[in-house]
Amino acid sequence: MNALHGYTGKIARINLTTGGVTLLSTFDYVPKYIGGRGICNKIFWDEVGPGVKAFDAENKLIIMTGPTTATGIPSGGRTVITGIAPQCFPEQYSWSGIGGWFGAEIKFAGYDGMILEGKAAQPSYIWIEDDTIQILSAKDLWGMYVYDTQLKLEELHGRDVKSLVIGPAGENLVRGAIIATANENAAGKGGYGAVFGSKNLKAITVRGTGCVTPADVEGILKLRHAMGRPLYNTNPVKDHDTFKPRPHISVPVDGGMKQAQVCCSHGCNQHCNLFLLNVKSATTRSGRINQVNKCIGVYAFQWMDDCGWTPAQTFVTRENNNPACLMQSNAGVVPPNLDDPAADVLFERHFGDSENFWDADYDRGAVINDLCNQYGIDKWDVIVWLMPWFVMGKKEGVFADLNLGMEIDPSSEDFMKDLLDRIVYRKGYHGNLLAEGMRRAIHELGEEKYGATVYHGRISNRIPGKRLPIPISFASGWGYSYHWHGRGFQGSIDMAAWLPAALALMTSTRDSQSDTHIRDTYDYYNAVREDTWKNPLTAESAIMNENKAELKEALTSCDWQLPNLYWSSIEAEIYNMATGMNLSEEDITDAAERIKNLFRAILIRNYGRTREMEVNEVLPMLAYPDADGKTVSEGEYNYLVDNYYRLRGWDLQTGWPTRETYEKYGLKDIADELENLDKLPT
Amino acid sequence: MSKDENSIYIQQYPPEISLCVGCSACEIVCGLVHEGKVGPSIRRIFLDRDTVLFEHQVYTCRHCSDHPCYDACPKQEEAMVLDEDRGIVYIDPEGCDGCRLCLEGCPFEPRRINFDISSNKAIKCDLCRTREKGPACVEYCQVRCIGIGDPTTVSS
Repeated sequence: MNALHGYTGKIARINLTTGGVTLLSTFDYVPKYIGGRGICNKIFWDEVGPGVKAFDAENKLIIMTGPTTATGIPSGGRTVITGIAPQCFPEQYSWSGIGGWFGAEIKFAGYDGMILEGKAAQPSYIWIEDDTIQILSAKDLWGMYVYDTQLKLEELHGRDVKSLVIGPAGENLVRGAIIATANENAAGKGGYGAVFGSKNLKAITVRGTGCVTPADVEGILKLRHAMGRPLYNTNPVKDHDTFKPRPHISVPVDGGMKQAQVCCSHGCNQHCNLFLLNVKSATTRSGRINQVNKCIGVYAFQWMDDCGWTPAQTFVTRENNNPACLMQSNAGVVPPNLDDPAADVLFERHFGDSENFWDADYDRGAVINDLCNQYGIDKWDVIVWLMPWFVMGKKEGVFADLNLGMEIDPSSEDFMKDLLDRIVYRKGYHGNLLAEGMRRAIHELGEEKYGATVYHGRISNRIPGKRLPIPISFASGWGYSYHWHGRGFQGSIDMAAWLPAALALMTSTRDSQSDTHIRDTYDYYNAVREDTWKNPLTAESAIMNENKAELKEALTSCDWQLPNLYWSSIEAEIYNMATGMNLSEEDITDAAERIKNLFRAILIRNYGRTREMEVNEVLPMLAYPDADGKTVSEGEYNYLVDNYYRLRGWDLQTGWPTRETYEKYGLKDIADELENLDKLPT
Repeated sequence: MSKDENSIYIQQYPPEISLCVGCSACEIVCGLVHEGKVGPSIRRIFLDRDTVLFEHQVYTCRHCSDHPCYDACPKQEEAMVLDEDRGIVYIDPEGCDGCRLCLEGCPFEPRRINFDISSNKAIKCDLCRTREKGPACVEYCQVRCIGIGDPTTVSS
């Protein structure tokens, strides 16, 4: 296969040990694996066997764009990074996505992606200018913050280069270290910044002068007006005296603040990210910076109540069918269609639990975000897990014997500056411990006391006044924190969404909510609300959302514009617009199944994944009630897992795909290898 | 000097009207409608991205009424062409030899004329003169931060 539109046709293999560069043909992997994570999975399966650890030179980082990247297809600017993830507990193959302009620039330079292997002898960075790929010394970059590194690379190579970089957190192998580009764009999950660090790789900087040619220009121009219903409102910088990014967050600002919106991905036709101008910085000479904030950063400014939820954010009707970026951003409010018979249910606000973690402080919020951005560290690990853990643990007396040399107080800017400094530079016992990430740190300290101690300050606003138990550690699974999982943080969502989310988390190796935010129809919501765990539609919804997620990460596309429940063929259509292929909706769903089952095969072969292992990973989270006081028992959850495995074509006992399933999706060679390893169900 | 106030061109509005979100739609659709592809060497509008501060600038041809790029072209009316009725200075690719003298003639920094190495031709904004709906970059700007004419008339 060759000469498909959309792809550049080349993947660069860059060996950091030898400095050698070779080229692979993208067409060895597509259209079968579509692009993005699909290609990554195949390369990883072929090249990285069991036993390799995240910081071994044998770990490979595979960075891949999709066929829609740089074609003008909305949000196709995203890039996927895969490899063995140090943030994952235990370490496993995983992935992270990143927006910005980098993916498009790589394609302009002539590459669909790259495979990074080996380890440089000295701090280095990769400089790519069209056909020329060089590994250069990063001696003068090492130690620099994320933004300073990018600006230095622009000074060295020109203002128009685009860079992926790490900060000090990645250099010091902090397991939650991110890879970053531009302002607040991050491959935030997986800890891949630390893999860069382990390879002595500070950055990749690129200039491309070529072009990407999609197959259907007229189709793409129409799509830009249709996909995600862009509002075409102006975006004036506005003055406010209070920062109100969410209905439950209200932060007075002395002297006022300026705010607008920005987008985070090349070619996106939305702008759902908050943009705060001239906020306090702890890392710049002027002490001020412009800051982009997405869903989690705003909680550093104030967290008294958990995030609320409106069913229309998740469940849609034909009358009220808006993408998440329009429902959850501040870019513009889409007026609800109240003629919709479902409107009363769809637009009923579900208030989050009162948790009373820290009150409003604009400067503290800005500084915590700034430090995370500049150090290059995952905000979820800090804001959703570390900070609440300290607050709840302190209130419950867990830290009575813990001597940090200063009072534990995450609401204090000074405390957080000191704490993050210790973590990022691995200072002292506790700094070094927490640099291993929250899951490992709590495991080391003792799960029973430091993880499972119940916080008594969670009060439901769905059942007013009702005190609900929650552990002081907001662990969900695989080393990640709660994220629309029905408890703790973003816990006000209904079981009809958090149970499919639990299945998606279970079969993953990370918090899967960056590409698998559950979406479905109101009809589904209505059908499963009374018997969610028992209803076969729940497992169907999980699979539909997982398959759509595979396509988002393969095409590539943002989680917040897709899926569209009333335009189910859109993924096939945009693939065809980019490439000139003629895949049907069924064809591309099969491709998603293929990519998912190949990922599953990697987990089974390399990490011994079984049903028992993954069910046990999420059961502890499910032991605590959601905001409505509901949960499921172990037996009920296993009933749901049975339904899910049956629909997937996976063996109920082991959780392994059957030979028939592998072969159905063109993976006979994978089945053969697993059979030789006794890892096919009998 | 050509920086007169009378020429018609695509301008970026001030942030009080609408802040550029950095989506690159202007560059993308420019390439798509003119060349059927996307890339930095074929764009006729330039988004100067501010990596950290996100205060992006949008530049394109000012269609100067004294047209120094036209004056520099050795093949006037064959390569660089004047449409005086509409105030547009445009390049006819059939006539362009790729001598780059128009680039040197442009008085603005950064330059407003691009050069496509693959076709060996200069390219510049023509305000989408043959396009019924007018400039594609304006049509597809999701926040209406660029346009022709008085920014206070931009509807929100």
